[in-house]
Order: sequence, then structure tokens, then C-alpha cells
Amino acid sequence: MKKHVIILLFAVVLLPSCMNEPAMQPNTYQGNFEALWQIIDTKYCYLDYKHINWDSIHTAYKPRVDTIKNEYAFLDLMGSMLFELKDGHVNLFSDFNETRYWKWFQDYPANFSSSLIYNSRYLGDNYLIAGGFRYAKIDNGHIGYMYYEDFMNAFSDSNIAYMMKYFDQCKGLIIDVRDNGGGSLDYSKQLASYFFKVETVTGYMRHKTGDGHSDFSSPVEIRTPASKIQWQRPVVVLTNRMSFSATNDFVNRMKQSPLGIIVGDKTGGGGGLPLSSELQNGWLVRFSSSPMYNADMQSTEWVIDPDVKVSLNATDEANGYDTIIEKAIKLIIQ
Amino acid sequence: MKKFQFLSLIILFSSAIKAQNSDEKKILLTSNANTFGVSTINLLDPYLSPLTYSGFGISYEHENRRFLSTEKTNISTQGKLNMEASYNLNPQSTSSMMFLGVNYSWGMHYHFRPAKGLQLLAGGLWDADFGFKEVPRNINNPVSLDLATNLNLSGVAMFDVRLRKKTFRLQLELQTPILGYMFVPLNGASYYEMFDLGNMTDAFHVSSLHNKRGVKSSFTIDVPSNRSVWRFGLNFMNVKYSANDLVFVRNELSLVVGTTFDTANFAGRKNKVPKNFISTNE
Repeated sequence: MKKHVIILLFAVVLLPSCMNEPAMQPNTYQGNFEALWQIIDTKYCYLDYKHINWDSIHTAYKPRVDTIKNEYAFLDLMGSMLFELKDGHVNLFSDFNETRYWKWFQDYPANFSSSLIYNSRYLGDNYLIAGGFRYAKIDNGHIGYMYYEDFMNAFSDSNIAYMMKYFDQCKGLIIDVRDNGGGSLDYSKQLASYFFKVETVTGYMRHKTGDGHSDFSSPVEIRTPASKIQWQRPVVVLTNRMSFSATNDFVNRMKQSPLGIIVGDKTGGGGGLPLSSELQNGWLVRFSSSPMYNADMQSTEWVIDPDVKVSLNATDEANGYDTIIEKAIKLIIQ
Repeated sequence: MKKFQFLSLIILFSSAIKAQNSDEKKILLTSNANTFGVSTINLLDPYLSPLTYSGFGISYEHENRRFLSTEKTNISTQGKLNMEASYNLNPQSTSSMMFLGVNYSWGMHYHFRPAKGLQLLAGGLWDADFGFKEVPRNINNPVSLDLATNLNLSGVAMFDVRLRKKTFRLQLELQTPILGYMFVPLNGASYYEMFDLGNMTDAFHVSSLHNKRGVKSSFTIDVPSNRSVWRFGLNFMNVKYSANDLVFVRNELSLVVGTTFDTANFAGRKNKVPKNFISTNE
């Protein structure tokens, strides 16, 4: 019996480990290329959705790695490879530069001018500032206008309650999220919650469950709650191509708000929640990991169309008018 | 005369009984140890990074041991609280990881005394383990939580060495987890989805020797001085666990120093503080 116990103990200790750490690529240009390619191959969530043949990209780029002479050229080459994903959420961060894909807004009209929104017709000089919002009454006090430039700016229920009290006599509200590149999904949810009377399923999220390009979990509901603070008059959300990521999520939620109207240009998209990993050379890679969908299970990775498509008119702009804001005012007043 | 002799006998007998009772009254003591340590640590947390982060840390540990009763001196309970913090870097020093860990364990050992000055303890410890790792550079996955509870096999060898009128205690302690429950999410599951959307699917796992293996060992020497007993030692930890195709590793080597002391507990109506003990509660 003693012998059996001793043998069992040794067996337990000496059992071939089923917990082998994954083999690491060497810290060479080839090794880091393979590591980057593999991270995207196993963790990026849109390879199938975007019909990207990632294997052929490996074949095309691998020989080019042997021609690399320095890390600047290596970053450029890896940036080119990541460019194939056409994803604003994919970046490679080195100590001297970061790669990016900006064609989601660079190839389109800006449809926003910060000098316009700060002229006396809109925010002017005496606008109020609270919780990352710059706000003022416009159109002779009939309309409340709020500009929110970054979903990383924290705000509280108290900030919003004061703003709504300030706009108490206004017929409607304009929330301008043009040129807002995103930030926190929590703030997106919180801001949308003031415009929903009941908790509403406004989207879904999935995550990768394995290395396969289509290994995803079942969709999980994304709900927009109904805040105790409510705005129950018309609200117009202004968008342009730089309304990206968490802003895109906010627009998706507001499209389903009973009193919400989206005006302006298509959003920039960015419906994949990004995560990050590292290469052996210490560079950080960010990539879309969890795809998000609207309430109809349509992907929000590409653009969200506005309800009313309006572009900035050059003549209006020259005369100090923001065509998109003016359209929003007309929609609220009528 | 007879009366005097009888009274003397009674007085003598009473004194003898009192003396015997005073000699036999036993008090159960709790043996405590507080140690502080500095360590080198290697951490692999694939939820945060595929790279192993290395660095230095500090720790504090409080341990107490006590027999079940004055009669049952073959079984003791042990409680241990360990807290540590470390700062770690990836191999290229382009990113840092902060680690905070707390572990509480409690259990019992049976004492074997095969030879004079030698005690061998065998038993088990249940522990609750909490760890917090943060890589600030990461995006949307900057934090990884280590949450686990384990049943551990535990063995201790204590050997008292008498040298120059002092008794030094050498102690070797070994502990290995055999069964437990742990939190390990899927690599692609964000904390946003888990904690904001409430989806904890595939995040909790039973752990046993097939997916969690490790050893915590400690070698210490207690050195008595005039009014203290100093403890010096080396602690070593190597733990590897796996779930959802992720393998986590923690290796740590610590140099510790502290003191050990015994305390007695007096509380309540039936266990009052003896008159020759001075307490601030009196």
C-alpha cells in the first residue's frame, strides 16, 4: 500500500504536463512578423466578415521581411500589413511611431468646422462647460446645443440634470458628436440612457471563443437603461465620418431612442471592441476583438447611416452657418 | 500533641495539593510569526500579454499556529495571511505590470514526533487567493484578476538544534494545491462584457492536478536573542495553472526576515486574565 502511495505521488509530480506554455517566437524581424500575423489570425474578429484572406497576406508579406534593415522599415512594413484589415481600431505602437488606418474619415468630407460651432450663432464666447460638454442655447433660446468631443470625458447625472434644467424652455436638444473619435462605452450607455423611457435592447456583442476565424460566443444583449433623469422632447444627434467607436455605439443606441434623430454624414464605424497584445520586441498591437451589432444583429463595424443626410455647404460656411446644425434646428422646430 | 500533629498534616497536605494544581495548570499559547520579505518575481498572464514580466516585490506575512487544546498536542491549527506587491517589466522594458496579491490560508496539521527535537507535520490548508495585475499600456484589457480558492496538501518539518545554550529551530514547509475553483475568463472576453453586460460564461473552472500545479516552500531558521526570536528564511513559489487554453505562471523567490513570539488569549468570564498579568482591558 505504501509503495502504491509513493508511486502515485511520483506519478502526479512527474506526469507529462498538459500545461505547456505556448512556444514563443524569437525576437527577430521574422519572429515578430509571425507573432503579429498569428495574433491577428487567432484574435482579430473581422477576418471572415471582411472576407480577408489572411493566409495569402502572410504569403505576400513574409518574403518582404527579409529585406528589412531597421526597425523603422519594419514598423512601416507591419503597418502596411495591418492596413489590409481596413480597421481604425488596429494599430501597432512602437517607441517612435504608431501605425494607423484613417481612411475611414480621410477619404470623405469633414462636415465639421470647430470655428463654425464657436461663432456667436452657436456656442459663442459665453458657452457653459460641464462634464466634457460645451453647451449653450441657440436659435434665440429655442434650442439647446451641446458639443461633446470625446467619450473619454467623464460626466455625471448631476452635470446632465443641470444642463437639462438650463434647457428647460427649449423645444429640443442638439447633441453634436461630430469629430468625436470615441472613448468609453460606459459613457456612451450613460449618455443614451437620458433619452430612453424604458430599458431597451439596443445591440449585441460576441467574443472569440477559439482561434478559428468564426469561433464566436452566442450574442449577449447590450441594453440601454432608462435613467431617472429624462429628456422627453426631440433630440437630434449630429454625426460625421469621424464619429467613431464609442461614438458609433452612441449613435446606434440613439437611432433606437423614441425621440432621437441622426443628422449629418454617415459615422466612421468601428463596431469592434478592441483589445491589445504584445510582440516579442515590446511593441503593442491593438485590434478589434469583440464584434458589436445593432438590435437587428447587423454589424456596426462599418458606417451607420444618418436618418437625415446633410453635408456642410461651403456657401453656408462662408456666411457663418453650419448647414448640419441649421437642418437640426429646422427638424426640431417643425 | 496529637491534635497538633493532625493539624500540621492537614496544613501540609493542603499546601501539597495547591502546589500540585499550580504546577499542572496549562495555558495554551499561540505561536505567531511576522515576516517581511523582498522578492524577485516572474509573471506570465496571457490575458494581459504573451510575454513574461519580471520584477521585484515586497511582502508581509503573518502566521499563527496553535494546538487544539492543552490535551490535544498532536493536532494544531494554522492560519496565514500573506500580502505582497511587485513592479514588473516586459523583457524589452517597454511596458510595466503592477501586481498586488493577498492570500489567506487556514488549516490543520497532525504532529509526528519521531525523534527528540524533530517534528513532522502533515495536514491540509484551505486558502483564498486574490491577485490584481495591471498593465496600464493595454487597451480595454489592462487588468487581470486572479481569484481562486484551493485545498492544499501541507507538510512541515521542524528540527530544533541546540548550540551554545541556544535552541535554533530549522523549519521546512511545503504546500501544494490539489483541488480548487478559479476565475479564468476566455482570452477574447473583455471585462466590459463580463462585468458590464454580466456575461461570465466559461469564466469559472474547477482546478485540480490536471490544470493547476504548484509548490510553495519555505525554509526558515529561528534565532533566539535575549528578548526576541528572529526568523530568517527563503520562500519559493512556483505555480502554473491553465484554463480556456491559457497558461498562467508565477515564480517567486523571497528573502524574509521577521520575528516569532507566543501569545496567550484571555477573554470572557471563564478565561479571565490571571492576577499577575497586566492588561489594558482591566
